[in-house]
Amino acid sequence: MGMKGKTARVSEKFPGVEWVEGTGSFITVDTQRCTGCGNCMKVCLADCYEVAGGKARIKGLDLCMECGSCWYVCAEEAIAFTWPKGGTGFRTRWG
Amino acid sequence: MGEYDVIIIGAGFAGPVAAKKCADAGLRTLMTERSENVGEKVISGLTIPIYGFLFGPSFIRDGNPPIERPVDGIINYIIKDIEQGDMEIDDSLKIPKPFSPVYAFGYNAYCKPFCEWEARKAIEAGAELRTSTVVTDVIMEAGCVQGVITETGEKIRSRIVIDAEGSQGLVALKAGVRKRYPPETISLADVYDYEMPKDRLDEIFGFSLRFCWGWDEQRCAPPLGHGNGLMVWPYRESIHYMHDQCLRMDSANVPNLRKLLSEYHGNITSKLPWWKEDVAPHARLRAHMWEGFEIFVGLNQELRSMPNHTDGMILVGDAAGLESTELCDGVPQAWISADMAADVAIEALKANNTSRSFLSRYDKRIKAHPILQWSMSGTNRFNLRYAQQEHDLAKLRRYVHDGWGLGALAHLSTPLVKTACRHVMANPLILMKWRKMFHRYYFNWHHGRFDYSGAPAGSREGARGRKEDARFRASFRTKQILLAALTPLLWVLAMLSYPLAGTLNPAMKVLLPAIEPVYAAILRITARLAGWLSRRKVSLVVNSDPSLFEV
Ligand SMILES: Cc1cc2nc3c(=O)[nH]c(=O)nc-3n(C[C@H](O)[C@H](O)[C@H](O)COP(=O)(O)OP(=O)(O)OC[C@H]3O[C@@H](n4cnc5c(N)ncnc54)[C@H](O)[C@@H]3O)c2cc1C
Repeated sequence: MGMKGKTARVSEKFPGVEWVEGTGSFITVDTQRCTGCGNCMKVCLADCYEVAGGKARIKGLDLCMECGSCWYVCAEEAIAFTWPKGGTGFRTRWG
Repeated sequence: MGEYDVIIIGAGFAGPVAAKKCADAGLRTLMTERSENVGEKVISGLTIPIYGFLFGPSFIRDGNPPIERPVDGIINYIIKDIEQGDMEIDDSLKIPKPFSPVYAFGYNAYCKPFCEWEARKAIEAGAELRTSTVVTDVIMEAGCVQGVITETGEKIRSRIVIDAEGSQGLVALKAGVRKRYPPETISLADVYDYEMPKDRLDEIFGFSLRFCWGWDEQRCAPPLGHGNGLMVWPYRESIHYMHDQCLRMDSANVPNLRKLLSEYHGNITSKLPWWKEDVAPHARLRAHMWEGFEIFVGLNQELRSMPNHTDGMILVGDAAGLESTELCDGVPQAWISADMAADVAIEALKANNTSRSFLSRYDKRIKAHPILQWSMSGTNRFNLRYAQQEHDLAKLRRYVHDGWGLGALAHLSTPLVKTACRHVMANPLILMKWRKMFHRYYFNWHHGRFDYSGAPAGSREGARGRKEDARFRASFRTKQILLAALTPLLWVLAMLSYPLAGTLNPAMKVLLPAIEPVYAAILRITARLAGWLSRRKVSLVVNSDPSLFEV
């Protein structure tokens, strides 16, 4: 997309968006608290979650757009949501 | 004493406004932004309503920000049967020609260039900017915020912090000033950006937004559990498509958004007649993204009663939960609150008092601002759910008309007139600035001439152009002089109207049913003449000398 700065990944699934590597695991699930209700999985448009063995698990944050929906809907507060490392993560010029 | 007087967290729409005002006042000001380039993590619609430009920061009103298209109205489609193409239209909220399109309801924009423009203005005023910097906490000493802590553990000290971090509010949560918003107040907006040739866009959309509303079984507008729809914004050579859905419904049920939103998108783009016939053949998908917005925070009493400040810290914009509960506009609120926060920060530092009790004047000002209060208490969008649940077409028509049709005058007249009166009472010459703003914005839009864009000023050459141009220049000046001469009178008028403004909404409620048919008839009868006059005005504006509109 020719934005200045670091090189970034793109995805055919979501055009017009780039992801800069090096985010760290900025969203985590506390399996002690998780009840496996699957709400996080239902609201994640990037399909980052799966539920296996009665617990939610992050498959990968590759396409995450950092909206926080999974964190908002987690009634058990099992999801810790923080920002990716400065200057990494999703970016777009079409927002 | 801190390294800085003020630190501002976030350089989205609100942050740079506060930063510029603080820097202009001579304060050592730092903006911190987590993204590498300003604005690249901000996702929006985006129509910025006119009250943001009229009553917001003066550097935006008097400047040349990058806008994508003026907006002169909304066409609402109430979809009864998408398969049959059975729908009703309510396009009563429209600025009539010849005022449109030079005079507008608002301006569409892309977030990144707009936020960048704002940030550059703040930097020019002397503010510093640190990008790729995530603030993770505040420095709390002696019960007072004394600066920020970044993800690397670095402590940056300041005498006061203005938090403009947007809706998730992670720093404000950490500082204990705010609560996590409950999921029923948050709507997840799925946004698509389509490229389209400008001439097709001019022809199909003109300067109007398109909103669609309907029953859930049509599968064309996410139900929100709360009645909602599809919104389409025309830009210069592209459109934004947005539909959204609250994260939790009344029933405490969490919808499967991945399934739902893609199903609706597929349905709309393949079945909605005007999309299929007019838009699809010319549109090329360029981007798909999403972001949550805090649509119903204003209606939550508990959140509403929380203070937007603590010792040493003030919250602005989305971080303060100020987004509108109806139009999902939040930029004017971000600008106005950031402007107020900067005033309070400057006063606090002058008085050397950043205590909670001193900063409480910020919350008082927010509560006393007619537009901020109105925009976070509108209930049409929220109430649409009842029409939907009861499948009541008459109700749906009424909510749509009262929210996004001429019926809106019954709830927005008072706050608009009150705020306008306040501005005129404070400085009657502002009327001339407002008028110039509309003309300059239109001129700039037509020529793609914005600050930093490097585009040349476009004004027509040639004898005929020059003659018309000279005539327009003369008439523009004459009108500005006339307006200046009238200001004492207008000032008196504003003084007299201000106490009466409170009666405007109830009066409109009673009078609108009588006014509307007359208004519609006048529009129909004068359409041709008005259309000709408006084309003429447009050509005069776009051919004029740009210096005419400079401040
Ligand atoms: C899909 C959608 C459509 C919308 N449509 C409209 C519309 O049509 N009209 C309208 O007026 N409004 C609209 N809004 C609302 C509008 O976008 C917001 O109200 C506005 O962006 C709020 O401005 P802000 O400065 O408070 O926050 P933002 O613009 O979100 O800016 C916050 C900034 O802070 C940065 N940041 C966040 N956390 C940190 C941290 N810890 N450290 C450093 N930096 C941080 C972010 O990267 C971002 O740049 C819409 C919103 C959405 C999501």
